[in-house]
Amino acid sequence: MIPYIVFNLMQVVVVLLCAPLASGVLSRMKEIVQSKQGPSIFQPYRDLWKLFHKDEIVSEESSWIFRFTPYVVFATPIMVTLLIPVLTNYPLFFAFMGDMIAGGFILSLGGFFSTLAAIDTANPYGPMGASRTRMVGFLSEPVFMIVFFTVSFVAGSTIPYIVQEKWVTPLVFFVTPSHVLLMLAFLMLILAEGGRIPVDNPTGHFELAMIDESKSLEYSGRGFALIKWGGHMKFFVLMCIFLNVLLTPWGLAADQTLGAVLLAVPKVLLKVFIFLVVIVVIESQLSKLRLFRIAEFLGAAFVTSVAAVIAQVF
Amino acid sequence: MNDTINQLLDNLNALVTGLFLLTAFGIVAMRQARGVLSLFIVQSLLLAASAALLGLRHHAESLFGVALVNLISKPMIVPWLLRKTSPSEIYTRREVSQVLSIPAALLIALALAILAYFFALPISNAVAPEFRGPNVPIGVAGLLIGAFTLTVRREALPLLVGLLVMENGAFLSGISISRNLPFLVELAIATDGLIIVFISGILIRTVQRRVGSTAVGELANLKEVSAESLEGRAIK
Amino acid sequence: MSVLVILVPPLVAAALVCVPFKRQWAAGVTVASSAIVLILTARIALRASTGDLAPDDGSVGALRWIAVDGLSALIVLLVAFVSTTAAIFSIGYMSRLRLRPWRLRLYYVNYNLFVFSMLAIPLLAEPTLVWIAVELTTLCSALLVSFENTREALEAAWKYVVLSLMGAGLALFGFLVLYAAVQASGWSGGYTWSALIQAAPRMPPALLQAAFLAILIGLGTKAGLVPMHTWLPDAHSQAPSPVCALLSGIETSTILYVILRLFPVMQASRNSHAETWALVLGLVSVGTAAFLLLQVRDYKRMFAFSTVEHMGIVLASVGFGAAAAGSGTMMQIVSHAVTKSFCFFAAGAVLMSEGTREIAGVRGLIGRSPAAGAALVIGGLGITGAPPLAVFLSELSILRAGLAQRLYLATALLALFIVIAFFGIMLHINRMVFGARETASRPLGGPERSEPAPDARFAIPFSCKLGLVVAAVPVLTLGLYQPQALQDLLQRAAAAL
Repeated sequence: MIPYIVFNLMQVVVVLLCAPLASGVLSRMKEIVQSKQGPSIFQPYRDLWKLFHKDEIVSEESSWIFRFTPYVVFATPIMVTLLIPVLTNYPLFFAFMGDMIAGGFILSLGGFFSTLAAIDTANPYGPMGASRTRMVGFLSEPVFMIVFFTVSFVAGSTIPYIVQEKWVTPLVFFVTPSHVLLMLAFLMLILAEGGRIPVDNPTGHFELAMIDESKSLEYSGRGFALIKWGGHMKFFVLMCIFLNVLLTPWGLAADQTLGAVLLAVPKVLLKVFIFLVVIVVIESQLSKLRLFRIAEFLGAAFVTSVAAVIAQVF
Repeated sequence: MNDTINQLLDNLNALVTGLFLLTAFGIVAMRQARGVLSLFIVQSLLLAASAALLGLRHHAESLFGVALVNLISKPMIVPWLLRKTSPSEIYTRREVSQVLSIPAALLIALALAILAYFFALPISNAVAPEFRGPNVPIGVAGLLIGAFTLTVRREALPLLVGLLVMENGAFLSGISISRNLPFLVELAIATDGLIIVFISGILIRTVQRRVGSTAVGELANLKEVSAESLEGRAIK
Repeated sequence: MSVLVILVPPLVAAALVCVPFKRQWAAGVTVASSAIVLILTARIALRASTGDLAPDDGSVGALRWIAVDGLSALIVLLVAFVSTTAAIFSIGYMSRLRLRPWRLRLYYVNYNLFVFSMLAIPLLAEPTLVWIAVELTTLCSALLVSFENTREALEAAWKYVVLSLMGAGLALFGFLVLYAAVQASGWSGGYTWSALIQAAPRMPPALLQAAFLAILIGLGTKAGLVPMHTWLPDAHSQAPSPVCALLSGIETSTILYVILRLFPVMQASRNSHAETWALVLGLVSVGTAAFLLLQVRDYKRMFAFSTVEHMGIVLASVGFGAAAAGSGTMMQIVSHAVTKSFCFFAAGAVLMSEGTREIAGVRGLIGRSPAAGAALVIGGLGITGAPPLAVFLSELSILRAGLAQRLYLATALLALFIVIAFFGIMLHINRMVFGARETASRPLGGPERSEPAPDARFAIPFSCKLGLVVAAVPVLTLGLYQPQALQDLLQRAAAAL
């Protein structure tokens, strides 16, 4: 019992500490691909440090939602971390508190609050970004649902710890069409939800073209730091779900010892690193889509996921 | 061990056919003519792969021949023939105005794929278990989606590819349910695909020379309309 | 002598016409090769009519996938006859167009290849090879349809190719499923038409049904059955007239022949609704075509719709039951082939003489060109089934078979549609041949097109008149007198159904 709680909290710590690193590595690698030097991979930590030491300015016109939102955005990925396998391949203490659908709901709670906060300030760019995020959300949520349903159909469960074993026992299940197509659809979803190219450009500084970033334009100081950190963690958590549950459920700790769990940390980080390389390749290949073409991108994800259902059901 | 290998081959074949379905969707959704052609080439490679996998799985040597014929004829000779016969304009075209928007077309294609499963169900149930598999329904889906492409596309190359997708679909189910077909027949069917490309290529070239565009689907003068409106359209 | 010899002359001719020689060389070679084919097929048809040819007999076909029985002998004979008359008609018709020599050679190469592919369909007994021959007919005739290279001709050719090949894709699936059905029945004696009939009782009904529907719809597209007929009036009106005669007169029947081959298979397997499908599809085709006939504006399109109608009649007659209507069905195919090709020759003559395809543009034809006018009247009467002519006889026997089968409603509908089509066609032809020229026919102020440009008019050449006369012989005589050999052949063909 006690070790399970400890391991579960270790997962949270790993996500808390490693999420900014993943973002830093990603942006550094993109810069290298573009023949630039790029910032240090620890730049996100420095940013967070700097923001935490700055004064926070809150508009007088804003309501409690604006002040409350950073904490929600920060807390929701941590909640999800408790539910998913980050380091171990056996269920931990909080694993049965909620399934994958609950995880999706918790993540979208953060999105919901940040949308409200963006509208709250009456900054013209905030609502614009909020409505665009909602558009992407509306289009991607059916795909999420279909992915979850297919997964649960195959595994007979929506608890991620149970799902991860289904695809690899026996190993030939790995190449079943539904699995591969689901991975493809989920990859597209991660790109859309994580605000990556081709849906959104996370490094863009042009307010009219922003989707995700423009929602936090009004934040400063500690609130902004929490929102940024929450964003890093959300991306990291999505990657963990993709890698540890769907794509490569290997390298996780199987033994219930502290050493095994600690050993799993570098393995998971290595997987994340390899996946980041893939994302860099994708982002360097594609250009950002026009806003109304996003529907086509997510439509493709939808078709892929339904094809997975078809391949599975029949 | 043998079981594992067989299961692996079955799964790989299922995967290949799943990707085949995905390329069919891609052909419906793709705007650029060149992209459509590339997707078709990928699809033909997947067809060849499926034939080879089924050949390995069921020790049917004739399927290796089918795989080889498909490998040579479609991914290699078809693009070459197209370059020889038709104007290079067909590659550069993009379909700006389609009959249906792309998400709508994709949704209909999805519905067709689901429909295809219901069509294929009685066929799958009637054949011996070793002939069953994902090939029949996905082949029928390819057939339907190819026909659907023919109705929503206007550009010459996507239309031609739609025809070839139909044939690919028929083939994909054929290699599963009638895999002992004489090799001569398989060869003749593959040759036939090449003749299709050749003749349509010549037609496209003539249309481009005469009408000035490769948007073949926009030719719509022949109808039961009065001579006056026919005349007016020709002037416009 | 192997029946494969029939296929040689068109191929040789297709090669020979490529030789750049005198201007009429290509035409001469084509006529000669068609005549040789006609003689060869006449001999085979004679042997078939006396029962000398057993179906699937190894002595006839050197290979397993070649087989000739009464039905295929009949179709081959029709192809040979129509291709001969069309070749004669082509000489004059093509010289009118004043083509460059290489274009003329291209025409004849395609012509011979097209005839070759049509001859191959009935001779082949392996269904998948038949499918390939069907594809070849589309592909060889595509460039013939677009031959005049106008915008409309190209559109027609494109529609023709796309829709026919679309149907062919479906038919290929059907043939592959059929093969699976043969395999599932445990039959090991090859995959031929006659093998299908023998294997049919043990085939899984679901497979047979699926294959039949796929082939019926797929090939029905090419045969011009109604929901899928949209390309047919375009292609059959835009092609040069001799090609139209081939397309309309014989190509559609050849495709229908492939569909007909499936009916005995369906009967051999017990529970099948093939007849119902045929009856419904046939009646829909006849009805739609009959009403569309009333409002056409182009006389070649009118004959094209009449082809849709006749394909429907043939299919409906199969739906009445092969046992009852068999010889009527066969007679209908024969009379339609000879009459419809004659009609298109007549239409070609009118086009040469008047220079317009519009019905409204042709008035008082009998005074301006008596030959074309007379031909049009004979063709119109022939194709609509006026009493002493061949089509009348066949339609009558089909209707009688329908009554004998107690399918009163279907028979009445069929008779009604035939009468409507009769009035539709004869109304137009009557106006064209005997009508007075209307002066105020263009209220919308469109360009005055009823008076053809002077250089568009062209005296009908001798070869065209000769073609018309040769083609007219069976149209006029078959209703009154059928040689004993032909009657036997029809009987044997009906037996194969």
